[in-house]
Amino acid sequence: MTTPLLKITDLHASVEGTEILKGVNLTVMPGEVHSIMGPNGSGKSTLSSVIAGHEAYEVTNGSIKFNGIDLLELEADQRACVGVFLAFQYPIEIPGVSTKFFLKAAVNAIRKYRGQDELDAMDFLDLVEDKAKSVNLNVDLLDRNVNQGFSGGEKKRAEVFQMALLDPLLGVLDETDSGLDIDALKIVAEGVNKLRSPERGFVVITHYQRLLDYIVPDFVHVLMDGKIVKSGDKSLALVLEEQGYKAFEPCGCSCNCG
Amino acid sequence: MTTTVNNSVFEHLHKQEDWLYSNVSELSNVSFDACKDVDVSVISKYDIATQNPLVVFVNGVFQENQSRLGDGLSINSDNLGEVYCRSNSQIPRGESDRLSITSNQHKTIHILQIISGNNPVAVFGNVYVHACQGETISIAETHIAITNQDHLFMPCTEILAEKDSCVTIVRSIRGSKSAYHLGGLHVTQHAASKVQTHTITLGGKRVRNEVYAYLDGENCESNFDGMYMLGKDQLVDNHLRVEHNEPNCDSREFYKGVLDENAKSVFTGRIYVKEDAQQTDAKQTNQNILLSDDAQATSRPQLEIYADDVACTHGATTGEIDDEAMLYLQTRGIPADAARTLLIYAFLNESLDELADDAFRSVLVDELLTNLPGGEFIQSLYL
Repeated sequence: MTTPLLKITDLHASVEGTEILKGVNLTVMPGEVHSIMGPNGSGKSTLSSVIAGHEAYEVTNGSIKFNGIDLLELEADQRACVGVFLAFQYPIEIPGVSTKFFLKAAVNAIRKYRGQDELDAMDFLDLVEDKAKSVNLNVDLLDRNVNQGFSGGEKKRAEVFQMALLDPLLGVLDETDSGLDIDALKIVAEGVNKLRSPERGFVVITHYQRLLDYIVPDFVHVLMDGKIVKSGDKSLALVLEEQGYKAFEPCGCSCNCG
Repeated sequence: MTTTVNNSVFEHLHKQEDWLYSNVSELSNVSFDACKDVDVSVISKYDIATQNPLVVFVNGVFQENQSRLGDGLSINSDNLGEVYCRSNSQIPRGESDRLSITSNQHKTIHILQIISGNNPVAVFGNVYVHACQGETISIAETHIAITNQDHLFMPCTEILAEKDSCVTIVRSIRGSKSAYHLGGLHVTQHAASKVQTHTITLGGKRVRNEVYAYLDGENCESNFDGMYMLGKDQLVDNHLRVEHNEPNCDSREFYKGVLDENAKSVFTGRIYVKEDAQQTDAKQTNQNILLSDDAQATSRPQLEIYADDVACTHGATTGEIDDEAMLYLQTRGIPADAARTLLIYAFLNESLDELADDAFRSVLVDELLTNLPGGEFIQSLYL
């Protein structure tokens, strides 16, 4: 049997003493795209932060296995090195460092971890040009400081480009559609779709169904109050779009129907 | 030409409010020598922009053979600034060969001040910059003390920026970590002039950088920036007084630095707004990152305002590295130590980013990286 790419079991996580995730279960097999949908405050971004290794979140119970490895034992940078990539909802601006400079540090850190030779400037720039072309990113953008002065669309495209460059096995996209107009959304989705492969899996976190018209998921999960309350195929997203999240709120009775 | 300095002036300076955090009383015990033999062989190493005009002084003595003067550059001419006299600077002013800069200077003029000798020397440096109406002048000053003596350098640069002129000056203090540097930039601006100063401190044991600026015309723009990266037993004291004497002027003070080991920084920024200087827009910012528990940053932003329709702000931060930025770098596979180094470098390099001249910038980045713990990692990223 194939090892799941990502297996989250009964995950509980808190921030500053407040429990946000209250028992999340999720299994992603290689090649699958899972979408996590949920209203504001349901824990979507917390889930992505916990997978990526944000230290502000304390995991109080449960486990996250990545290709059989205990992810919670690894630092954020080690998680990136074994193949987890988080595309940020709000990519951080870093004035004073060009994007290329920053990415050379990233690529070589990952190569070093994987026991590969570090790339010299020439090979690195070739790789960058190659990957930029593959996701339709203007290479000139990469001479600018990290995310500084980028438009909303440019930031998200740069995230997808970074994902292509770092070549992860699992891509976690945290509300990649937020702040994008429809044209920018299409370009970003196209970039993600090009990265789909039988080995690579995705967790696409989104508030709106719109993104899923362009990145078509294999599974859709509804996250409410820190738990996945409903799972289904892509048609579930359409139900959500029609009925809103309210339809999935627990009914308040004791019949465990929620 | 090494002037005799009355040492006693340094003994009690730190008892005054303006010098509270910078004790230079040790200087009163140093016996300064006249420096007889001047070694000119080191000069070429610091000639970093060989296409640009170069003016070299060693221990305050003009080196004609090593310099490249151009139009508008003269040594010991009759031009004498009066700007210094307006300030109440306590740093003594004395004799040295004196450079005057006039007329348009689109190529950055490199002024190289080397302080050297096997015994302590006290040296003055005098530069007078006069931009007439509509002229543009760009200057880079490199101040380097060689050898680890208690050398004392007291550079005084005066700038007169007439109407619609534009003056840029980048002063970098490099070299010995045991020399004293007590420097002044004295600026007078007429209407609609633009002056930008950038003081970069990467060397020295006790460094005092004074900026006295007088905005005497309407619609002036002034940027007074500074950056520092210091380590063991080093101190930098950036001391500014910016006087808004006419309406509608904008001034910015932006100083940022990183302190390692037991390094100390002091920032005192006084913005003075005269009663008629309405619509003044003045801002001062001092940001520090401390890398060690023993490092210390003191910020004293001060506003003295006599007009009622102005926008004046000040801000000071002293902190550590931003957690969100750390996470971002780590999620790209960069280990925590390297991520921290990269962010510190970014913090300082932002201040150098705006320097227009590549040759000067890259030299400063290199020197910055030799001071920065983990700097060799940053060097490995060069493309």
